[in-house]
Amino acid sequence: MAGTALKRLMAEYKHDDPISPSVCSPGPANEENFFEWEALIMGPEDTCFEGGVFPAILSFPSDYPLSPPKMRFTCDMFHPNIYPDGRVCISILHAPGDDPMGYESSAERWSPVQSVEKILLSVVSMLAEPNDESGANVDASKMWREDREQFYKLAQKIVRKSLGL
Amino acid sequence: MVRAALVTATSMALTGAVVAHAYLLKHQFYPTVVYLTKSSPSMAVLYIQAFVLVFLLGKIMRKVFFGQLRAAEMEHLIERSWYAVTETCLAFTVFRDDFSPRFVALFTLLLFLKCFHWLAEDRVDFMERSPNISWVFHLRVLSLLGLLAVMDFLFVNHACHSIITRGASVQLVFGFEYAILLTMILTTFIKYVLHTVDLQSENPWDNKAVYMLYTELFTGFIKVLLYIAFMTIMIKVHTFPLFAIRPMYLAMRQFKKAVTDAIMSRRAIRNMNTLYPDATPEDLQASDNVCIICREEMVTGAKKLPCNHIFHSSCLRSWFQRQQTCPTCRMDVLRASNNNQAQAPAPAPAPAAPANAPAAPAPNVAPGMLPGFPPGVFPFWGPFPAVPPPAAAAPPAAPAAADAPPSSTDTTQAAGTSQPTSSAADAATSSAAAAAPGSAIPGFPFSFPPPPFPAAPWLPMPPPPPFVSSMPPPPPSLSRLTEEELRELEAEGRRGLEARLQCLQNIHTLLDAAMLNIHHYLSTVATLAPPRPEGGAAEAGGANREAASAGAESPATERDSSTSDPVGGATVSSQPADSTSSASDAERKENWDEGAADDENGEPSAAELRRRRLRKLETSPSSPTSPSPPPDN
Repeated sequence: MAGTALKRLMAEYKHDDPISPSVCSPGPANEENFFEWEALIMGPEDTCFEGGVFPAILSFPSDYPLSPPKMRFTCDMFHPNIYPDGRVCISILHAPGDDPMGYESSAERWSPVQSVEKILLSVVSMLAEPNDESGANVDASKMWREDREQFYKLAQKIVRKSLGL
Repeated sequence: MVRAALVTATSMALTGAVVAHAYLLKHQFYPTVVYLTKSSPSMAVLYIQAFVLVFLLGKIMRKVFFGQLRAAEMEHLIERSWYAVTETCLAFTVFRDDFSPRFVALFTLLLFLKCFHWLAEDRVDFMERSPNISWVFHLRVLSLLGLLAVMDFLFVNHACHSIITRGASVQLVFGFEYAILLTMILTTFIKYVLHTVDLQSENPWDNKAVYMLYTELFTGFIKVLLYIAFMTIMIKVHTFPLFAIRPMYLAMRQFKKAVTDAIMSRRAIRNMNTLYPDATPEDLQASDNVCIICREEMVTGAKKLPCNHIFHSSCLRSWFQRQQTCPTCRMDVLRASNNNQAQAPAPAPAPAAPANAPAAPAPNVAPGMLPGFPPGVFPFWGPFPAVPPPAAAAPPAAPAAADAPPSSTDTTQAAGTSQPTSSAADAATSSAAAAAPGSAIPGFPFSFPPPPFPAAPWLPMPPPPPFVSSMPPPPPSLSRLTEEELRELEAEGRRGLEARLQCLQNIHTLLDAAMLNIHHYLSTVATLAPPRPEGGAAEAGGANREAASAGAESPATERDSSTSDPVGGATVSSQPADSTSSASDAERKENWDEGAADDENGEPSAAELRRRRLRKLETSPSSPTSPSPPPDN
């Protein structure tokens, strides 16, 4: 019998739930290492990220699901809640103990009942509705708040880049 | 990769060139070696070559024992190596006196072995993550662990030997370093065994996490002890070992974490076993039967939380180690269980109160707190035989009020459960108030017998007790209250008690004041009255007795009041009665004295007579001079 974390990840991988159409094929990058998953996130429709396909890596800790995984976009992103290096900053990925921005209520934090699927859905909704109160990328937050036009332009650029155009 | 190969190749070529050059110069082996060791540039080349060789050896060993390193392992290794290198450089500064090639070589070897320890640790941790562990893996890990353990042991042994025979030296550092590495190997090995056992068994091993925790705790403790010993010895022998600060701090932090984890785990296990019931098969069938933490079916060992969510007990335990909330609804389970505990004792005093109730009126004493007081001292507390008709006319009120005192004394005795009891008392009195609205002031916690006489206007009545309005309405159900609410209720009960005590104190002060007044009055009367011979006083007593036989009622009240006077003027309610009666008492005494005086010596002086008459006119114009009973009250 393997570890709890591994079993849970395998169960999540096998579990073929109809996942949201915005998310594409989350799964381990290779079958040897179940603790690194790849996922493709589609830019939600009717937003400035529409049409983009953004690859991301989920890395799970060894005590998953007690601790949340980390998520990192491997492409260029410009978004108030994504650090310039691609790390995603949303409350569902924060364990109740840590609060990088110091304002999240524990009700929206990580809990073992969350899953990869829910994380990805949260990320999609985060792409659609940035939260400029907790800026992981301060430039993006500022631009989102003050110069929406410019933000849309940059987002479109990123979408085109993600499609290899 | 290419760069490493290039460096290796360059180093090889340089060494080859240097050696060839020396050999061409000297033509013989021994002179060549002497030449090489004497020439600094060639020695530098040789040293570099040595490092390259160590590096190559490391690569080979890595291939043998680990195969391909994973990216995370590599990252981990490089990160830790940098710290180790800086610390080694710091150590060089401490031991700069015996800095020599041998010394550098020993440190290099230490670093080399350390790298393998880290890798072994990472590898064993990886066991938990890997879906399939081959026999090669076991073979590699076991042989590596064995090899490292033997090396560590040998080095520790060597260090001990050298310290004992040649005194403290650099070997001290090596001894401790290898001892710590040895504990690391021990931890890794125990973890390996645990993982292997877990892998072999089909079912998930519930207690594995606990064993891991205690392993960490144990080895962490050894490490901390070693570091402390190292620090003290180093400070005594050499100087402050700056290079050991970081690892020591890390070891201590790890140990602290292990201790906290162990405590949390114990608490979680205890809560698990005591507070939450096992899920019954019906519960499991009602839900979808899958533990949402591990996503596996629950067959046995499932626990049900107060919020009706069901999980594997092992999953729940490891979660509670981190956080005490329900994973699904985030309800605070500790708070919920506290509520349950608070709910449990709540019904207990309720049956106890009726049991006490019959006993309360019988001894005719305010029950509990102050048993020494005579009846009527605390009219607020329950009924007593002297209660005037209005209260007696409302029979439901009396038993209800009788409930109140015992439960209120309960309140003082058991502060923890004060709220339920006082609320029970509250409920009892509110029902009493409903039953007899005339006799009890609504909302007043205890039935309040109306004063048996019209309140004397000159005596200030104590203000209505302050807790009348502050008493909270009885809560609908204690089980549904949060911790804060309960605490607030408790505080409310406490405030009520304090207010009651304050009220009693006020009463006491008022009584004291009344007593002072009476004494004052009596003393003025005494100064006004002429000094009488001893026989007169005796006569007065006799007359008093005569009067008692003559008038049936008034002496009884008089004696009553005179007995209750020393106790402190009895109560507020009877206070006016006392004061008036004692006033009239003094007056009467005067009259009787007068009568007796008239009877006995017949002839008082004229001035005396006039004074008496004047006073008579002053005090009681209506009362006759004869010793008739004064108006009662």
